[in-house]
Amino acid sequence: MLELNKTKYLDSNSILSYRLFLSLTEQFKSSLVKISKTVESSMITGIDNSSLIKNESDYMIELIRAYNFGVHLTLNGNELDIEAVSISSILYKTAQNLRKIAINYGVNVDLNFSGKHNLVLSNSEGLEASLMSLGIALIEALPGHNNNKLNIHLATHRCRYGIVAGIYIEDEFLTNDTLKKGRNLYGKVRQPLTNLSHSASAGVFIADNILSSLNLKLKTSHHKKLYGLGVVLSPISQLELIK
Amino acid sequence: MKEQFNILLVEADKILSKVYSEALGANGYEVRVASSAQKAINLIDEFKPHIIILEPQLSNHSGVEFLYELRSYKDLQDIPVIILSNIPKIEFSTSLDMLFSKLKVKKYLEKDNSSIRDLVDSLKELN
Repeated sequence: MLELNKTKYLDSNSILSYRLFLSLTEQFKSSLVKISKTVESSMITGIDNSSLIKNESDYMIELIRAYNFGVHLTLNGNELDIEAVSISSILYKTAQNLRKIAINYGVNVDLNFSGKHNLVLSNSEGLEASLMSLGIALIEALPGHNNNKLNIHLATHRCRYGIVAGIYIEDEFLTNDTLKKGRNLYGKVRQPLTNLSHSASAGVFIADNILSSLNLKLKTSHHKKLYGLGVVLSPISQLELIK
Repeated sequence: MKEQFNILLVEADKILSKVYSEALGANGYEVRVASSAQKAINLIDEFKPHIIILEPQLSNHSGVEFLYELRSYKDLQDIPVIILSNIPKIEFSTSLDMLFSKLKVKKYLEKDNSSIRDLVDSLKELN
């Protein structure tokens, strides 16, 4: 009865953060199982799989870093530094970091943009954390797809509403509708985005949380013949003079 | 000469499929991995597994859908299946009986609650 009363007084933000925490713990449990099995297998086979353990630990560290960043954003949103941000440089830096994790999953990380894009007004750390978080969710998911093309592309392009920055793969895995359903399900079910991943996809929802704290919205997006998730950013038009 | 014992491991996670394959290989089993239900169905005719180890949590089609498809073929109805999953058994609740009776699952192991040694012991039981 006491528990019921407690639940009654939780506001919707608290419930959302509990759900995000549950999604994160589910993802962590899965990573810890992988580490445990890797150690056990090495004890049986004598094969040195320490690089797998290191990379899985790095995966967990990146996810917790992004989660913590999202929590701080929610708590101290007003103190956020907004600055002119170069999307290309953020994508480049994120790609470098993702490659370290992608290698054990047999996934290639490519940059896919050409030409100059304007600077946008945003928070670089927030954008980087959300793209990183999204990227590691896709890296983990991709080997489980029917498609054998294990490439993820970090890309940017102009659209009617601004500049899109996103992460893309070569098969269509999500629609806006399935993403919407996933948003309602994460933290409640083990596999909220069944078309994307066999796992809890915590990285997607952590990215979603960070972006919504930055007043941005994660959406399904197309880039050339690629499908993915991206965010629309507003260019700073007055800086166009600086070229 | 010892007969080759083929195991089809249906597991979406790249790292787990690698380490399970290595450990089972070291125990003398011939292991092939399918990372999705579709790939598993495609592989069965060619590889002719003696046992299937299945994680029901897959992308797109679930492992349960795979089991229904598998059992719909007359010649594949008797291949023993071991479920090796992140999903606790208790979450299947009423459908657990259906897994064992209708879909002929022989054993259910929870990944966080069973060792590779337990898996090898289960394989030996079914040999």
